[in-house]
Amino acid sequence: MMGRTIFIDPGRCIGCQACVSACRECDSHRGKSMIHLDYTDEGSSVASLPTVCMHCEDPVAPCAEVCPADAILVTADGVVQQADTTRCIGCANCVNACPFGVPKIDLQAKLQMKCNLCYDRTAYGLAPMCATVCPTGALFYGTLEELQAERPGVQVADTFVFGESEVRTGVAMVVPADRVQWPVPGGLPVVEINGKDVRR
Amino acid sequence: MTEPPEEPAAPEQSDPVTRTGAPAGTDGRNQGPASAVAAKAAGIVPRSVNARAALAGVVVSVLLILAIVLGSRLLHNFDSALLPYAVATVFLAFGVAYRYTVWISAPGARRLLTRGWGSLFSAENFRKAPTALPKMIATYLGFQKFLGARSHARWAAHQLIFWGCILASLITFPLTWGWFTFTSGSGSGPGYEMRIWGFKILGFDSLNILGWLMFHGLDIAAVMVIPGAAYFLWRRMKDRGAITGQRFAYDMVPLLALIVISVTGLLLTFSSLFLHGGGYQFLAILHMVSVVFTLIYIPFGKFFHIVQRPAAVGMQLFKYTGRQDDQVFACRRCEEPIDTGPYVENLRGTMRDLDLGFDAWAEYCPRCKRVLRGSAYLSQVKKGFK
Repeated sequence: MMGRTIFIDPGRCIGCQACVSACRECDSHRGKSMIHLDYTDEGSSVASLPTVCMHCEDPVAPCAEVCPADAILVTADGVVQQADTTRCIGCANCVNACPFGVPKIDLQAKLQMKCNLCYDRTAYGLAPMCATVCPTGALFYGTLEELQAERPGVQVADTFVFGESEVRTGVAMVVPADRVQWPVPGGLPVVEINGKDVRR
Repeated sequence: MTEPPEEPAAPEQSDPVTRTGAPAGTDGRNQGPASAVAAKAAGIVPRSVNARAALAGVVVSVLLILAIVLGSRLLHNFDSALLPYAVATVFLAFGVAYRYTVWISAPGARRLLTRGWGSLFSAENFRKAPTALPKMIATYLGFQKFLGARSHARWAAHQLIFWGCILASLITFPLTWGWFTFTSGSGSGPGYEMRIWGFKILGFDSLNILGWLMFHGLDIAAVMVIPGAAYFLWRRMKDRGAITGQRFAYDMVPLLALIVISVTGLLLTFSSLFLHGGGYQFLAILHMVSVVFTLIYIPFGKFFHIVQRPAAVGMQLFKYTGRQDDQVFACRRCEEPIDTGPYVENLRGTMRDLDLGFDAWAEYCPRCKRVLRGSAYLSQVKKGFK
């Protein structure tokens, strides 16, 4: 299946923001965090979700596909890198096309930035900063076998459903073992959650 | 941190075509995912795009050769010593036209090109914002304000390189094509004449300040380029962000090429002024080789951003025109503005062109996409620790 990658388990996330702080230490965007930590049902629940770049594999990197300036590099080892600074024209196509809501944009600098899977670290075999500091293992870096050795009975899903489309990613999410064949819902079009209309 | 270790870095430096199906041989850095994906089924650029690009390259090259022949008054003013440079510019013309055609054949770029030009030539744009285009050209292409937002030092260094290269190009291209001629009855002193296509443009005294500037224009350009390129070279060796993921061929070679061209150019002047031409021939060949290499490299490496950057103006104009009509598109969930309505529709069209079957997602802001995905995971997949 997959090699060394990040496994996200929102069920373990306590929203402590350690990953957000650690992400600032990544050399490729030093001083700026590329992790999104969202409180999905704020006021009713403490549930939180860390979002890193999912490094889409099929279709390969939609952000790169829609880029009009050929600015986003997909490396041969599957890492979708942030935009090339010389080419990025700051159009925000990648920001709005990404179904996971990952890329950020600096409109003044006309520059897109996003998680590079800590390429400065993973190229050396080190874990990304976020996974290194996560106190609960909501962000785990390693192989699936290493994850399962630590957490017997877990499985992962690397396919997300968006409407009628599926997106297979290089980063996976932890799912209950009996649902491993079930692609993870992408979230839209969701009309109701717990009886509440979430469209507005 | 220095270069990444060989083994993990190797795949990234290897030909990424296997992964993205990018146009082979078009660019060492970018795998042109946009173009690539359009052709992912075939794994290469579609034959029709290749053929069209090659045709565009041939047409532009032939037009340039014609312009050289006619502009040099049927080669009467052509300097045969500059032949290698002229040949390199023909290759440059072919490469730029070829690469440009491949580039704008990808859905994202093609749509942006269409909408950018459409905005420019719309009657509304002329009526409502006639000064928008010149302002944007000055901001994005001339003064490159966006670079200042990244770093003032990078902006300053880039301005030096940019204006230095513009100056050098304005001098050398017409010279190598035989479009410029300088004549004088006496060889020095008054009576020097500058002609373009055989027509007298300027008469000046070669010994006054104007004459000095005319003869040292390329030295001035070199003096501008060297500190700019040297700063970027230093940055590529010291800045940890710049070092991450950089490649020698894509990031270092262009800077080294600019420095070699500039230094050898200055040394040629030094040789003629102070060494009675000592080492001139060797320097001239080194200078020529570095210039020819750089010209041929332009379409296929980092310098291609010179050709791509004007797309920023088209994109801004397209968005600006939409804002003039107050066509702001708000997120369907939180109602935060996403962008202009025509922009969102254009992006959805691009996604449909690419068979990305989730273009409706473009109507939601990034945060809402994440929150909704988190909510769906929480309610439908897994809740809590296990």
